[in-house]
Amino acid sequence: MAGVTLSRWTMSYFAAALVALVAAEVLMATGFGYPAAALRGAETLLVVHLVAIGWLSLLMLGALFQFVPVLVAKPLHSDRVAGAVLLGLLAGLSALAAGFLHLAGVVTVDLPFFPAAAALLGVSFALAIFTLGRTLETAVSPGLPVRFVTVGLISLAATVMFGIIFAGVLGGGVEATLFLEIAAAGVPVHAVTGLGGWLTFTAMGVSYRLFAMFMLAPELDRASSRWVHRLGAAALGVTVVGGGAAAAAGASLTGVLAAAGIPGLAALVLYGFDVVHLYRGRLRRNMELNSRMAICALASLAAAVTLSLVTVVLGVFEEHVGAIVFLVAFGWLTGLGLAKLYKIVAFLTWLECYGPVLGKTATPRVQDLADERRAWPWFVAFFMSSWLGTAALLLSSASMFRVATAALAIATVGIVVQFVRARRLIDVTNDLRFPPGARRPRLFLSISH
Amino acid sequence: MTAALEQQVRDALRLVLDPELGENIVDLGLIYDVAVSGDGAVKVTMTTTTPGCPAAEYLREGVSNCVLAVAGVAAAEVTLTYEPMWTPARMSAAAQGRLRGA
Repeated sequence: MAGVTLSRWTMSYFAAALVALVAAEVLMATGFGYPAAALRGAETLLVVHLVAIGWLSLLMLGALFQFVPVLVAKPLHSDRVAGAVLLGLLAGLSALAAGFLHLAGVVTVDLPFFPAAAALLGVSFALAIFTLGRTLETAVSPGLPVRFVTVGLISLAATVMFGIIFAGVLGGGVEATLFLEIAAAGVPVHAVTGLGGWLTFTAMGVSYRLFAMFMLAPELDRASSRWVHRLGAAALGVTVVGGGAAAAAGASLTGVLAAAGIPGLAALVLYGFDVVHLYRGRLRRNMELNSRMAICALASLAAAVTLSLVTVVLGVFEEHVGAIVFLVAFGWLTGLGLAKLYKIVAFLTWLECYGPVLGKTATPRVQDLADERRAWPWFVAFFMSSWLGTAALLLSSASMFRVATAALAIATVGIVVQFVRARRLIDVTNDLRFPPGARRPRLFLSISH
Repeated sequence: MTAALEQQVRDALRLVLDPELGENIVDLGLIYDVAVSGDGAVKVTMTTTTPGCPAAEYLREGVSNCVLAVAGVAAAEVTLTYEPMWTPARMSAAAQGRLRGA
């Protein structure tokens, strides 16, 4: 059907991402990785990449394959590539996990895990960037979210390049001094471009449009939001170029990261003002659960920024960097992701099932596919657990962290059950569930009309 | 005669709901124009709340199906436009009131 931009693979990305999220939370709850193991230990790196690639990157790519066509009002460059990218990323992540387990002594078979991971992840991410980039290129007048996503994709490319260097060094195949220097000192650049550039900056850009769409708030393209983009892009540019150069030269990264931190902080503060403006300007006064829970995610981002500043001033930033990264990954990115998934899963399911019969028969509304009274306790439990986990890391309490991450895993499963209920149309009243002509959605694969 | 048919078409379109907002597309201000010719051909010009909305094609087809079901309509042509862009100010006072929770 011409003009329809329903991505066939987005739901598959979400399903795979959610499995990775729960797996990472269960691993943390069992004491696998930091704080029971070293922050840069192999076990910790496995959990970190399960969250960063398996959960957050698959979530973001799945969302972008659906959302970028909305931003540019044009079809995705290639929907088939999205399926191949998903398989490649899952295979690459498996190889990477096997490599870390080999380093930890859990896997004893000696295979080229890291080179395989570098090749699979490198090619898959490159294909994703190419496909999304070609789609963004078709924008007639690139709006603010398009410009944010573009910077996010450039950050992803930089993150992947650093990752390939690390994998080459860890696998023993790369011995050039330049790459050894980058591998020794470049981890902070890899982390900032990944968590800050690819994931946070893209999420910020997408949130401008999603908040406006879901709350009927005015679309923002004002001076402050344009400065958020400029300052954020500048911060990421300094991090990649300056940080990469400093790491290659074996110099300290402190000055570069401080120079990047100032515009980065300014961008985040201005973003905060923009979000408050959007929430205040919304026409839809009764906020849906996804918008209410997004406030908790935004509060986590504000808390992470505040915590970073306080620990830098007190000279204890490195000691608490694990807690800050946890708060960014779970309180902010995961919290926002789950809150928006609650809406997006219902919306995509509605399109698949009821779109073809619209105007022919009575259909439910999107919000009829979800039961907010059933879902909100799980979201509250999720955010409370993520904040408890952050506190546990700040207090260096490994046992408290295990309790918090066990609660986090239970809350996440509770939220996933709500997604399954929406896909299965369980909360739709019997008289509206399957009108003549409506299609029964499949759980993991969208029906492409 | 054509004025009466136009009104019947507009009334019928109130049965088509925007899935996200749960309001009918007439009160949301998504129907920009309904033109009826003497031979029963109806041309509808409409928009969606956001350009590139994945529901756009379904809404367009839904409107076409709905118009064709009105007695006296011989043909329906539905055109999507984003000139001008839709804004919440296009909603009827009643729809705005409902979305505000009043």
